[in-house]
Amino acid sequence: MNLIHKLMKTPEGAVGFIILAIMIGIAIMASTISPGDPLRIAGRALVAPFTDPALPLGTDRLGRDVAAGIVHGARTSLLVGAAAALAAIVLGLLVGLVAGFCSGIVDEVLMRVVDAFQIVPGFLLALAFVSVMGASLPVVVLAITLGAWADPARLTRAQVLSLRERDYVAAAKVIGMHPAEIAVRQILPQALPPVLAISATLVAAAILTEAALSFLGLGDPNSVTWGSMIAEGRNVLRSSPWLSILPGLALIITVVGVYLLSEGLAKALAGDGPAMQGKLRNGAAP
Amino acid sequence: MPALPVSRRQILQISSLLLASTALPALLAAQQAPAGGRLVVAADSEPKNLNPAIVASNGVFFIASKVIEPLAEASFDGKDGLQPRLATAWEGSGDGLRITFKLREGVTWHDGKPFTSADVAFSALNVWKPLQNLGRIVFANLEAVDTPDDHTAVFRFSKPTPIQLIRNALPVVSSVIPKHLYEGTDIATNPANVKLVGTGPFTFAEHKPGEYYRLVRNEKYWGKDQPSLDEIIFRVLPDRAGAGAALEAEEIQLAAFSAVPLADLDRISKVPGLKIVSRGYEALTYQLVVEINHRRKELADPKVRQAIAHAIDRNFVVDTIFLGYASASTGPVPKNAPEFYDADVPSYAFDTQKAEALLDEAGYKRGSDGIRFTLKLRPAPYFNETRQFGDYLRQALAAVGIDAQIVNADSAAHQKAVYTDHDFDLAVAPPVFRGDPAISTTILVQSGTPAGVPFSNQGGYANSALDAIIAKAATTIDSGERTKLYNEFQKIVATDLPLINVAEWGFISVASDRVLNIADNPRWAVSNWATTALQP
Amino acid sequence: MNRSLRLIRRRLLTSIPALLIVIILTFLLLETAPGDAVDAYLLSIGGGDAGVAASLRQAYGLDQSLTARLWLYLTALARLDLGWSTAFERPVIDLIAERLPNTLALMGSATALSFALGSTLGIIAGAKPESIKDIMLSTISLILYAIPSFWLGLLLSLLFAVQLRWLPTSGIETIASGKTGLYRLMDIARHLILPVGALTLIYTALFLRVMRAGMVEAWKLDFVLFARAKGLSRTRLLLRHVARNAALPLITMLGLQAAAMLGGSVVIESIFAIPGFGRLAQEAVTGRDAPLLMGIILVSAVLVVTVNLLVDLVQAAFDPRIGASEASS
Repeated sequence: MNLIHKLMKTPEGAVGFIILAIMIGIAIMASTISPGDPLRIAGRALVAPFTDPALPLGTDRLGRDVAAGIVHGARTSLLVGAAAALAAIVLGLLVGLVAGFCSGIVDEVLMRVVDAFQIVPGFLLALAFVSVMGASLPVVVLAITLGAWADPARLTRAQVLSLRERDYVAAAKVIGMHPAEIAVRQILPQALPPVLAISATLVAAAILTEAALSFLGLGDPNSVTWGSMIAEGRNVLRSSPWLSILPGLALIITVVGVYLLSEGLAKALAGDGPAMQGKLRNGAAP
Repeated sequence: MPALPVSRRQILQISSLLLASTALPALLAAQQAPAGGRLVVAADSEPKNLNPAIVASNGVFFIASKVIEPLAEASFDGKDGLQPRLATAWEGSGDGLRITFKLREGVTWHDGKPFTSADVAFSALNVWKPLQNLGRIVFANLEAVDTPDDHTAVFRFSKPTPIQLIRNALPVVSSVIPKHLYEGTDIATNPANVKLVGTGPFTFAEHKPGEYYRLVRNEKYWGKDQPSLDEIIFRVLPDRAGAGAALEAEEIQLAAFSAVPLADLDRISKVPGLKIVSRGYEALTYQLVVEINHRRKELADPKVRQAIAHAIDRNFVVDTIFLGYASASTGPVPKNAPEFYDADVPSYAFDTQKAEALLDEAGYKRGSDGIRFTLKLRPAPYFNETRQFGDYLRQALAAVGIDAQIVNADSAAHQKAVYTDHDFDLAVAPPVFRGDPAISTTILVQSGTPAGVPFSNQGGYANSALDAIIAKAATTIDSGERTKLYNEFQKIVATDLPLINVAEWGFISVASDRVLNIADNPRWAVSNWATTALQP
Repeated sequence: MNRSLRLIRRRLLTSIPALLIVIILTFLLLETAPGDAVDAYLLSIGGGDAGVAASLRQAYGLDQSLTARLWLYLTALARLDLGWSTAFERPVIDLIAERLPNTLALMGSATALSFALGSTLGIIAGAKPESIKDIMLSTISLILYAIPSFWLGLLLSLLFAVQLRWLPTSGIETIASGKTGLYRLMDIARHLILPVGALTLIYTALFLRVMRAGMVEAWKLDFVLFARAKGLSRTRLLLRHVARNAALPLITMLGLQAAAMLGGSVVIESIFAIPGFGRLAQEAVTGRDAPLLMGIILVSAVLVVTVNLLVDLVQAAFDPRIGASEASS
């Protein structure tokens, strides 16, 4: 509670929080705001926005409701962003914790795997992975995770290495605590904050990556995504530019919201502990 | 500047074309047919094997047909729908065992060697029959090619082979390659497959991978005063949405094969200096087909297939997905093949109530969630329109209580899933009609094709009556009788619905007003472009 | 210098197993893919009977076992032979040599421009944190950084190439122009303006933010506070100490971003029809061309390793502490 209070005191945090709260609200309420399948054909094709009250943002090439697409697209984008970031953090924490705690050959092997994933362009990997596995939401999430887990893993390992020799860990060893218990109870809580600090940028990067994949035709065809709306609209960019511009704006506003929240969090946390590490590390999505 | 000899008929065609595109002043220029100039054309792919004698596909022909010529080309008004190219006359024997081709004299290869009947014999026996994707079917019974003199080639068949089929297939299967460059080499890996040597109006100059192909005027071409252009450049623009912008920016002068998305045509048609031409693809009709996996028990029921046919609003497909640049199909043979087309077949009007009634009758009632059953739908990824139709079909089926889940895959995965693994319930396919049912539409319903062959019947459908008709037509010499068999074929397919034919479409060219003669035969986009001209 | 050598050795030694993992994972990924090179090819030619498929599989070596093919690839690789592309019927190395320069020109110029622009603007913003200038630059950069590059590319091309016609819509140079020397270079530069511009805008935002954040931290450093108290001129202090300190994370960022930037080129290359690495990768995946895809991923990985090595060396030169800790980790 304290943190949220502090967060709301920073202008970035407040604005970001509000943007995201609205977007999450829309995503959760999508089926209420715009019931039914957002991909169904709702009217005439290519109705311009703000001309038909029943279709406030107009329709696309096939007559699908753009407003419904944007509302339901919020759900897909946020879901994919959150799921991929969560998966990357959990995987990264796990690998980092094991590598840092076990050291020796286990550490060496795990870190080479981390290296491998860090030196391969993440988007190239995601592109190949989705093309090969077929586009569906779980595959897209997995593909984004593959390109994102290495940073949190490295960060966690560094944290663990610095914590391992601390007194309270040594004490725990002395009283005969099981290593796994030490890892989870003593080290994990301390290693968590820096990783969580980059979580927001992981979410933003995941949202952007999903959009880029959808733009290249590698999104789940059974759900609307902003990226696929932009790609669809691209064919009529000249005559009906809103079809690409509206979902693009929705995407940008969401990502700005995530960044602002992350800045606010950093400021709010700055009073509490060490400066944030690895800010914007994962930022550059295509 | 010598004027091109233009027949009266041609002028009429050109003028009607130009009238259609409201570019009246250009008519005069067309008569004068300017010579010279560089035509820049959008190309969306770079085939790794450009040899049309081995790979008879439109992607290859688009570029290679300017360099390597067939024995005959399709024609709007010629005898048998053909105009002579390397052959000047052809005649079949009454028993269907021999076809005699008279070959053009005075033709030389681009490397200066003379073109003779030996080249034709070599191409037919060593390339078309054993290696070519379509020639393997058409020339399956070709036994020998006699060459009594340098300009006569006699094809001998072991079984009666319909001359009608050979004629219809000629433009596609008969690209002649030079014997002197291929004999004694591994034909599949011969360097001439990528650096083409032919007899056509243009010679192959260079290929810059990822950027362009360049063809230049063949000064020694046999056609009088042909070609008009000095140079053709195929600029690689893999991204379809880029072609429209490049046209408007005057970086290219022609985008064929609907390289400009249909959705953008309405706007493009209003851009001064650009014209939209929908002619020149009459012999390249693509068919929008719903393939059905008859292994699914629901789909094995003809009532369910009829219900699906009734659930599809063909008008919506034609008007909204194809924006009017298509027509609704009635059966497996398109209207553009008047020789075979039969309109007198059962039809399935858009009627969701009837569809629901049929599904109820078949015993598949709506469940508490409104769903009768769930299907896996795989739209082919090759065209925007097949994907969009997949999106539409999902919605159309939802309206009658069938939940279709779309599975998107790239080309290779789609091919494997549908044609090898049969991992689909419904699939959307765009097969091409190649002028004769024997080499196109029949393989989609004929049984007995092994798994792994693309664009063949992999839905597990088997109908011995239909198979018998197809087999009989393959060896029926008399054209009238053969046509009757194919009329019967259309009736059975439209009644039993082994697959559902939804629409058929040709492509659209968008060109600068300066480009002339861009639709003077029904396979124009994949013909030799000897008459195509560019106003300065 | 001894330390630098150690650093290089350490980087190279750890890179080899990582590269090996990359190769094997890529190989397995394509192996599990539905459809193989023959399926992809048959579709592209519009069909063919079962006999064609079988003979092609033999010609591509796809009838051999998985381990046999992997072993064949690895032994060839040991001789620095990247193999034969089935989708293009050409040696992989030729294809890469053809496409890589285009991508490097695109990414290199975008990186150089955005680095210069971003660090300068970052200094301006960080010179006085929370000033109007800072808030404006920070806000603009935040928004720019949230824009998907493909969306920005689309809009830029719509405006400058199609509407205003100042610049070409796509391609890397005017086709078959016959231009040579300086004229050709200028032609290429003209074609690169839009794609480089789109990437530069976004990466400038990134570098600006990192530089600014570094400056904000640096202002709080003891020696800066001390120097300020001593009455050192603000400008001198800014450039000499604060900016210099803030430049280190910026260089680190360059290394961290190398892989992401290379990946990001895929979308931009697709929009502007630039025959580069990204497009080649897409073609390799579509054609199920395992040797080509492995070659591309391998070469990108080597590039990333090289960039990181350079970054390490620069950092070591800047700050003696960094090299030492890295070398021993």
